Formats: sequence, structure tokens, C-alpha cells
Amino acid sequence: MGLKKAFLRLATIGLGIGLMTSAALAANLRVLAWDGYADPDWVKDFTAATGIGVDVVFIGSDDEIWAKIKGSEGQDFDVFAVNTAQLQRYIKADLVSPIDITKLPNQKDVLPRFRDLSQVSGDTKDGKVYGIPFCFDSIGLIYDTDKVKPAPTSMSVLWDPAYKGKILAYDNGEHNFSFTALTLGYKDPFNLNAEQMAAVKAKLVELKRNVLSFYTTADEAQQIYQNNDVALIWANYGQQQVKALQKIGAHVAYVNPSEGALAWLDNWVISKGVRDNAAAEKWIDFMLTKKIGGELSERTGFGNTVVESSSAGGNDKLVWLNNVEDPLKRSDMWNEVKATP
Amino acid sequence: MSRAGSTHSAEGRLSQLVTVLAFALPVIFVLVPLAIFLVYSFFGVDQGTIVYAPTLSNYVRFFTDPIFLPVFWNTIVLCVSVAVICILLAYPAAYFLTTLKGRWRYALLMLLLVPLLMSYVIKIYAIRSILGLNGFLNKALVALGILDQPSTLFVFNMNAILLTLSLLLIPFAILPIFLSLERIPQTLLRASDDLGASSLQTFLRITLPLSLPGVASAASFVFVLAIGDFLTPQMVGGISGFTFGRILYSQFGTAYNWPFGAALSVALAIVVICAILVGERFGRSRGTSV
Repeated sequence: MGLKKAFLRLATIGLGIGLMTSAALAANLRVLAWDGYADPDWVKDFTAATGIGVDVVFIGSDDEIWAKIKGSEGQDFDVFAVNTAQLQRYIKADLVSPIDITKLPNQKDVLPRFRDLSQVSGDTKDGKVYGIPFCFDSIGLIYDTDKVKPAPTSMSVLWDPAYKGKILAYDNGEHNFSFTALTLGYKDPFNLNAEQMAAVKAKLVELKRNVLSFYTTADEAQQIYQNNDVALIWANYGQQQVKALQKIGAHVAYVNPSEGALAWLDNWVISKGVRDNAAAEKWIDFMLTKKIGGELSERTGFGNTVVESSSAGGNDKLVWLNNVEDPLKRSDMWNEVKATP
Repeated sequence: MSRAGSTHSAEGRLSQLVTVLAFALPVIFVLVPLAIFLVYSFFGVDQGTIVYAPTLSNYVRFFTDPIFLPVFWNTIVLCVSVAVICILLAYPAAYFLTTLKGRWRYALLMLLLVPLLMSYVIKIYAIRSILGLNGFLNKALVALGILDQPSTLFVFNMNAILLTLSLLLIPFAILPIFLSLERIPQTLLRASDDLGASSLQTFLRITLPLSLPGVASAASFVFVLAIGDFLTPQMVGGISGFTFGRILYSQFGTAYNWPFGAALSVALAIVVICAILVGERFGRSRGTSV
């Protein structure tokens, strides 16, 4: 991950310079995206197919996207990638334009769960579509196939005393409250009332007593897995983490729990300051081709919205991450959970 | 004459500049940031943005919320224990060093300080794989027949933090103790021997009292470094090893509660300053009375 970040930085700087030099070519489409969302060969194919030149700037964090888009009031970019939890903030700040999906023929052929965008929480507002889903990953459960039998189907296995001291959980209050709320059967895990919060907290204290440790990075989880008797991992890093573990020879499998797995979903959006709306639509439509979708999953391990991938099967229930009611409250309560003896 | 005068005043100006710099740098880089921290601790937070209106609520919360004081106290006990363990292990090592002659003494001292050149995180990773359930320590204990099966005694709990911090901080204890031992005049030891004291008596009545300033500064070094550490508890503490540093750290990430984090830091800073003062006072009065 560290290397990836460093590379991202470098790419950002390099492309930033590239962008300055190409500012003269005013007709180019200006794209702001995560690493892996606008690979050079795709850009080349796009230009060959449409005759539209593209300048790509890569970003490394949600905050960076906000700073770049907000900083120029959307004037510096035509298209950018942002996740559903963040998108509402951009809509509220009037930084993005509604998208006419009739201009995106490929959107009709995406996976069923992404076809009706009014059903994808966070992508629409007042009946208008603002985000086109492109890339996602779920936060599921990694289990050791030798130690956990039968295969788990619900996160509730994390509370199973049979696996006491063999569980790795993730050190993040926001996510832990959300997934525990799902496990308890609450409808909206991102908006809990005081009573639900208290119930989730009590449940998390029980979880804490069943886990070996809370990890923060994927590398860390892997190292702990290698040196200890670990049976279950709450997989914040999803498929990337599974692949890394399988690479070191671990017998692990991945499951999205039946009560619903938290998942992030990145979308293409068109900025308020778009210069050529038709070119931006062409870019998004091009990104929704089967070829790009397949290559995206193959290269990054993330799920794409066009062809089936290992992130989630068609029947898996995914719950797109959203802004929580009060991040500070959750962080404080998470500390209380950790401080409980 | 005039030329000599001008170089003189140029030198004077230079030394003035150096003096100003000498005072300005600590003020700008140490005192001002500390003051900013102190000021922030009197602000509040509302809906993820800092409210710049003076309030005592952060401090009230620290003293009234049932989670902070117990963790704070446990952390202090933990760090005092780390200091004690470090002293107990470092003293014999430092004493042994002073018995060596010539270049051996410094070669070995350098060797003991080599771990300080390594990255802190890498050392924690290494120790963690030693302490793990399938780690070196457990494997060795089982192989030696001391344990029947791997023990979870040192896996992700307070013991693991205690052990890891002690291991990481021992070099900081060895150095001051070594320096104070080395400074004891040999003549005193010889005089004691001449007057018929046994080597144990000499150690207890001359070497030990004279080296106590070193012990005091070693203890305050180790304590201060241990109590400010959040990384070690975060990485080896697991579920039961929750320390004050971890609470403090959590206020600056997703929580974005800088004012409360600042207030917790102030509480920590007070303890640290007290530790340094105690170390200093204890060390000096012993040193000058002889």
C-alpha cells in the first residue's frame, strides 16, 4: 500500500506537469481519477475511437478530490470519480451536473444491481442521476477454510465462542457500528438512534472479547495471520486482502454475509465546469464497455459494474457505504468499547 | 584602526544574530506550537468543525467521563513498570560495560546502541512475530518443555506492550547509567578497598549512591518515551492493551476532535513535565551532595 501511495504521488506530480504543458490543447477532456481507473492503454483506445484527447490526473484520497474540485468550483475538470458516500456532498455544493443516461447506451447492459440507478443509494437526487457506478468492492469476511467449518454465511460467526481469540477485526468505529447494526438486523446502519447505538455498543463489547486484535492495514493483518492462530478476518480491504493472503499460501475464502455486506462504490460524475458535455458522456460510456470492466477487475481485483467478478455474486446483498449520522459520536463510543475491561 | 573596528562590529553583529537565532528557534519551533496546542484545548467541536469559542468542556469531560481517568492511570502504571524493568536490565549491563578496559568498552556500548538506528516500526513488527502464538518465544518455550502448548500470555495484551516497550527503550536507560558509572572516580573505589570494605559494601555505599543520578535520568527518559508512544500499544496491545496514547491518537483521525485531543495532550504533557522535573531534581541533589 505504501508503495502504491508513493507511486500515486509521483503519478500525480508527473501528470500535473503534463497537464500544465497540455493546457494549450484546450479541447482535451480533463479527467480526475483514482489509480487504475484510467490506464494509459484505455485512454489511447478512447482517443483512437472518438478522436478526443484526454488529460488524466490521479488522486490519492477523498479529501484530495474534494480539495481539487471545490478549489476550482469544478472548473478544472470535466469528469471525475467519487464514491457514493461522498457524492451527496458534491451535489449539495452544486459542483456536479446531472447526467442524461439516454446518452450512455452501455448503461443498459450493466449488471442488474446497477441498472436502476434510483435503487443505488447516493447516486440520485430529486429524480436526477448524478453518478454512474463504475467500480466497487465489498467489505466481507475472510475465513480459513481449514479452521472454519461449515463455511460461514453471516458476520454473527464473529461472536461465536468457538473462535474466541482467533478473530481479526478492524480498528474503525464507523464501520464497526455499521456492520454490527446490519448483523443486529437494523434497516439503516448509517443512521442509528440512541437506543440502537447502545445496543450496537454492547454487542461490540462482546465482539471485542472474542477477537485477537484490531488491525489497521492489510499488511498488518497478514503479518498477524502468519504468526498466530487466526480463523476469521473482517476484511476491510476486501478482494485485495484475499489475494494477498492466497499469494502467501493461506487457505482462505471470502464471503459476503447474508445480512448484507458493507461496500464502497465509485462513480463517474460530470463536474459543473464541464466544457464539452458530449465528450464527458462518451468517456463514461466508454468506461462501461465489457472490455474495460473485465480489465479493471483483472488488474485491480475490484468489482466492476459490467461483468461478474469475485467481489460479489449476483445474489450477494451489498449495502453501499453512506455518511453516518455522527462520526464523532461513533468514534467516542468506539473508544468506550475499547476501554471497557 | 577603523578597519579593526569594523571587523569587530561585524563580529558583534554576527554574534548578536546567533544569539537571536538561539532564542528564536526554540520559541518558534517549541514554545509557539505548545502554546497553540494549549489554546486549542479550550475550543470545542460541532458537526465536524472546530468552534473557536473558549470553553472548559474538554477538561470537564476528561475528569468526569468514566473512561479517561482509569485508562490514564493504567497507562502511567504501565510506563512506570516499563521504566523499572528497563533500569533493572540496564544497570547490570552498564555496570558490566564500565568493568571493561579501553576500546572494548566503547565497541560494546556502540553495539548496544545499534538498535536505535533501526526503524521503530520494523522493530515492533519483528517483536510482534517473536511474541505471536506461533512466534519464536512460544516455539522456544514449547521446544524446551517449559510450556505444554503455546501460551497467549504475551499475545496482544498489556504484557505484550510492557515487554515490547521495555525492549525498545533499554538503550535509553543504558546510556545515562553508563555515563554516571563511568564518572565515578576510581580513587574512591580504591580508598574504600584500602579501608577494608568488601566489594559488596563498596558497591552499596559508593558506586550505587553515586550512580543514582544516572538512574533517575534513565528512568525519566524511559517513562517519558513510553508514555508518549501510541504506536507500540496500537500494534501489540490488541483488545485489552488500551492506553492513553491510543485514545489521544484517535481524536485526530476520523473523529476530527482536535480540541479534545489537545486537552488530552495537555494532561499528558503535565505528567511528562512532572516526570522530567522529578528525574532532574532527584538526579541533581544526589549528584551535588557528594
